[in-house]
Amino acid sequence: MLKDKLLVALNFSLVIIAGFLLLSLFDVTISPTGRAVYDPSEMVCVVNFKDNYNLWEDIDGCCLEVRKQLSCVRDKGYYTDKTVEWKCSTGELNYWLSDEAYNYCKEQVIW
Amino acid sequence: MVKKRWTIHERVFLVLIVVVLVLGTLNVAKARGWLIPEMDNIIIEEGTIYLDSLSLEQKIAQMVIVHGGQWNLKPWKDLQVGGIHLFALEKSELYLEIIGKFQSGMQIPFFVTADYEGCLNPFANFINSTVASEINSVGDAFEKGSIDGELLHSLGFNINFAPVVDLNDEIWGCRSFPGDEENVAKLAEAYALGLQSNDVIATAKHYPGKTLVAKDPHKNIVFAYISDADVLPYEYLIEKDDIASVMVSHIITTGTIDSLGIPAVVSSEVIMPLKKDFSGLIISDEINMLGLKNFYPSIDDMYIAVFKAGNDLVLNFNEDPNEIYRMIIIIKKAVLAGEIPLSQIDTSVKKILELKGFSVE
Repeated sequence: MLKDKLLVALNFSLVIIAGFLLLSLFDVTISPTGRAVYDPSEMVCVVNFKDNYNLWEDIDGCCLEVRKQLSCVRDKGYYTDKTVEWKCSTGELNYWLSDEAYNYCKEQVIW
Repeated sequence: MVKKRWTIHERVFLVLIVVVLVLGTLNVAKARGWLIPEMDNIIIEEGTIYLDSLSLEQKIAQMVIVHGGQWNLKPWKDLQVGGIHLFALEKSELYLEIIGKFQSGMQIPFFVTADYEGCLNPFANFINSTVASEINSVGDAFEKGSIDGELLHSLGFNINFAPVVDLNDEIWGCRSFPGDEENVAKLAEAYALGLQSNDVIATAKHYPGKTLVAKDPHKNIVFAYISDADVLPYEYLIEKDDIASVMVSHIITTGTIDSLGIPAVVSSEVIMPLKKDFSGLIISDEINMLGLKNFYPSIDDMYIAVFKAGNDLVLNFNEDPNEIYRMIIIIKKAVLAGEIPLSQIDTSVKKILELKGFSVE
């Protein structure tokens, strides 16, 4: 009896898994419940080349350039009254991003 | 010997395990692009390609540049996309290895592209480069173009998305050549000639200008007023026939070049007049920008708009090969429905194949 109950539970789980796999196979997406909503004012991208630091307002452009860099590491910095937590760089060129901006970038299809 | 009878639950369990395994495998295969059908072989006779021998899908694929991640080696080769763009890597040997793998066995070689400008330098981990803002003479610009071209050619690249001819770089402070628009035009010309003397195609960007100064309070949509000065470098380079390609930006422009309220890259009002004067390649900037997507009810509409506007090469760095294939199919349907003229696709593909060294008939 116990074995039967276990099998029923397993079969039920497998049906759910099969359902999700089937949906995924046919690109059926479930509404993005729980997906983060980004506040544009919290998304900060600062471009730094040598001693030059400037805010870059085009976050999507920033995401693309950040994607092209060799590496991104956690590294705290400040730009005027804004805090940035990620440094993405290749050579002397650095992009400093806030957590919001970095997480937003990581969700883009180019990542 | 007693034969064991399977219970109904055990039988269902076994069937479900098999179903889950099959579906799981199919999902993995799909994610890796293994379910994308391989394109047919192309008939090439003594360096001549007959345009009619290419399927419509093959033609459209030639107009696409993707990110050349090694994990997508097979799907990009199967799809016969026009080009791959490479990001920063740790050492030169990696570029040689990756490009070698991509080009190996291809009937039509890939365009291999980079953003090697100076301060934007994907090779910075192993080579330093003079930045454009420090170039003051035509001689230095030509020398930089030659050195950059030699490196790119030796690594296997054949298109560089440089020179930047936007005026006044207020964001990076290093991407533009110094001086007024006439000086920028002359330095860009010298740089392009140096680059192209090493068989690397130069790309003037980002048409029609102001991409390095535009500020946008709404983050995703960038507006700019384009003056005669912004356009002068392009006019100069095109008139002198010194540049092989031009990259078009996502900025919504007014003034000398008016994109009529939509991003320049999807505006036929921007691209078609440019094509009248310029016989080289028109390349879109990367298209997965929210500012661009937000203009259309669906991403399919955006794809159609980018091709319909007249871009010869479209940069789509979406890492999902299924999405790239889907884009090709959407464009194919739009062409078959008469929404995009086939003659426009043929003209673009002819330009691409000729720049890859083929005769096209």
